[in-house]
Amino acid sequence: MFETTKIVLKDNSRSLFKKIKDAPILYLMLIGMILFSIVIFSFAAFFLINIETNLDISLEDVFFTIFFIFLLKTVADFYNNFTKSQLVTYSLSTQVSQKKTAFEIFFAVLLTELVIWFSFSFMFLFSLSAFGIDVNYPFEYILFTLAVITASCIGCAISINFFSPKKYRLLPMLILLGFYFYIGNPIFVVLTLPIAIIHCTWSINNSMESYLYNKRKERTKDRSFIKIRSIIQAQFHRETTVLWRDKLLFSFVLSSVTTGLFSGYLFLYGDEILIPESLRETLGGFLPSMFLFLGVYVVVMYTAVFPALNLFLNEEKTMWIIRHMPIKNDTVVYGKVSALALCFLTSIPFIFYISIFTGFDRLVFLLWFLVFSYIAGIIISVPLGVKYVGKKSDILLLYSVSMILFLVLGLMISFINIIEKFFGNPIIFYLLILFFEIFILYISLKLSSQILTLKYSSTDNNS
Amino acid sequence: MITVNNVTKTYGKIVALNNVSFNFNDSSVIAIMGENGAGKSTLLKICTGILSFDQGHVTVDDFDIVKDSIKAREQIGYLPEMPDMYERLTGREFLFYIASLRKLENAENRIDEITKMIGINDFLDYEIGTYSKGMKQKISVTSAIMHNPKNLLLDEPVYGLDPLTSRALQDYIKKRKGTTVIATHSTQLVEQVADIVYLIMKGRVILSDKVSTLVLKYGSMEEAYFQTKDEGNV
Repeated sequence: MFETTKIVLKDNSRSLFKKIKDAPILYLMLIGMILFSIVIFSFAAFFLINIETNLDISLEDVFFTIFFIFLLKTVADFYNNFTKSQLVTYSLSTQVSQKKTAFEIFFAVLLTELVIWFSFSFMFLFSLSAFGIDVNYPFEYILFTLAVITASCIGCAISINFFSPKKYRLLPMLILLGFYFYIGNPIFVVLTLPIAIIHCTWSINNSMESYLYNKRKERTKDRSFIKIRSIIQAQFHRETTVLWRDKLLFSFVLSSVTTGLFSGYLFLYGDEILIPESLRETLGGFLPSMFLFLGVYVVVMYTAVFPALNLFLNEEKTMWIIRHMPIKNDTVVYGKVSALALCFLTSIPFIFYISIFTGFDRLVFLLWFLVFSYIAGIIISVPLGVKYVGKKSDILLLYSVSMILFLVLGLMISFINIIEKFFGNPIIFYLLILFFEIFILYISLKLSSQILTLKYSSTDNNS
Repeated sequence: MITVNNVTKTYGKIVALNNVSFNFNDSSVIAIMGENGAGKSTLLKICTGILSFDQGHVTVDDFDIVKDSIKAREQIGYLPEMPDMYERLTGREFLFYIASLRKLENAENRIDEITKMIGINDFLDYEIGTYSKGMKQKISVTSAIMHNPKNLLLDEPVYGLDPLTSRALQDYIKKRKGTTVIATHSTQLVEQVADIVYLIMKGRVILSDKVSTLVLKYGSMEEAYFQTKDEGNV
C-alpha cells in the first residue's frame, strides 16, 4: 500500500540530505536565512501593531499569496516527480494500475506541500507568540490549510493537462482561478475544494496521456525548419529550439510582464503599502527608485543570467559533441551567446508594463539600464558557466553570480546618480558606458573560449 | 592515419595510459581490447581531441591534435561509448546540426542513405530523449560516418544494436577505405572485422598482432584474448 508514495518521499528526502551533506555551509546559511526571515517578519508584525499603523495588507492578500505559491510549487513538483521523472518508469511497469501510481505520486506531492506548510506556519506562529502577539485564530488557520490542499489539487490538474496533447482540459481550472481572482474571497476558494478534487481525480485518470505524450513526441511539423546552416546559426538554432521546447521563452515573457506590473505597482504605491504613515516623510522617496532597480535586476536574473549560465552548465554529458567537431572555441562561444539575443527580446515587455506606472519620461533611462544590466549579466555568467561545465544546479554558483551582478549594478546606479547631478540627462555618457561594456563583453567571451580550451599540462606535447 | 607517440595520461594518481605508442595505418581496421578501465576509451578520446594528455604526441593525417586541432578533427569521425545527445532535438535536427558544424554539403541525401542502412529513418522526427539505447546508438553512428571520415574511431560500436543493424555496420566497416579504430570487448566483432588487434592492460600495450595470426595460433580470438591476458598478468 502506497509503495510509490513511500519511494518518492524517500528519494526526495535522501537527495535533499545528500545536497546538505555535499554543501553543508551553504545549506546552513540557507536555514539561517529562513529562520532569520521568519523572525524578521514576526518582528515587523510586532512593530507595526505597536505603532498602530494603517498598513494596507489584508488577510486576503496573505491568503492568496500563500495559495499561489503552493499552486506553482505543486505544478513543478508533480511535473518533476511524474511527467519528467525517470524513476516512475519502474512503478508504471509493475502490475499495479498506472492510475493508482499517478495518484500515489500526487499523494506524495500533497504530503510534501502539507509538511512544508505546517513546518513554516508553526515556526511563524511560534515566533509571533514569542513577541507576545495573539495567535489564537483556529478558523483562519484551517482556512489556510484547506487553501494549501485546494492549491495542490489545482496545481496537479494544471501540471497534468499543461503537458498533455489535449491542452483545452486546462480550461476548467483556469476559469476557476479567474473566479478566485474576481471574487477575492478566501471562503469561496475553500468552498470550491470539492470541484478541485473532482477535476484533479479526473486529470489523474488521464495522466498517462500526458506522460506518454512527453515521452514520445513526434515533431513532423518542425521539419521545414531543418536545413544546413552556418556554424553560428546552427548553434543559435539549437539553443533557441531547446529554450522554446522547454517553454522557457514563454516563462521569461510571463515573468517580465508580471515583474513589470509588480515593480510598477510598488513604484507608485510602495510607500503607502510598506512604510507607515508616520515614517513616510523620512523613509519614503528612495523606495520608487529601489523598485525600478530591483525590477530590472530580477528580470535580468532570469532572462540573462539563468540562460547564460546554462549555455555551458547543461553541456556536461554532451561536451564530446562540441569538442570533437572541427570548430574553434570562439565560434562555439559566439554561437551559443547569440541565442541570448532572443532571450533579451523576452525582457522588453518589462519596460512597457513598468512604464504604465512610471510614465514614459523614464523610458530612455530604463531601456539603457536594462541593456546595461543584461550585458553585465552575460559578462559575469558566461565565463563562470564555462568554468563549471556540468554543475547543472549549483546554487552556490548562482548565488555568487547574483551577488556580483547586484554589486555591479548598484555601483553603476551610484555612478549614474553622480553623473546626473553634474550633467543632467547624460545620454552621451550612457552610450559611452555601453561601448565600454561591449568591449568588456568581448574580453569576457574571449576569456570564456580560453577557459574552454583543453589544458595540456606538459610542454613536451607542444614542442 | 593516426600516430600516437609515447602518450601518458593520468587521472590524479591513476595512470590511464602509460607511455603508449600506436601507428594506425591507412586502410586497416584496428581493434583495441582490454579490461574495463584499461584505457581504451581514454585513448580514443585523446585521438579525437576531447581529452588532454600529460605527455607525448598525437597526429591525425600528419596534423598535430594540439597545434592543428581543427584540421586534425576534420579528418575524424567518432562514436563515443555513451552517446549522450541533445535530448530535446529530434534525430533529424541533431544530424543536420552536426552536418552544419562540419559544413557538409549534400547532407540530406547522405543522412537519408545512412539512416536507411541502419534502420532509424522512420524515427528521425522523434525527440532524442524518447529514444531507446539502440536508437541513440544508431543516430550517433550516423553522425560519426556521414562525412565519410578518413579516420573513424568507434567505442563499442555494436553495443545496443539489433543483429541486423550490427551486421550492416560490420559490412560498412569492412568495405570502407581509411583507418578504423574500434575499442571493444567483443572478440566476435574483432574476429569478423579487424585486421590488427592491440591488447591494453593497466595503460600499457601488452600485445599487438594480426588477427588472422592470433586466430591461427589460438583457434579463436576469444581464446587468444584469455591466454595473452593471462601471460600479460604474469
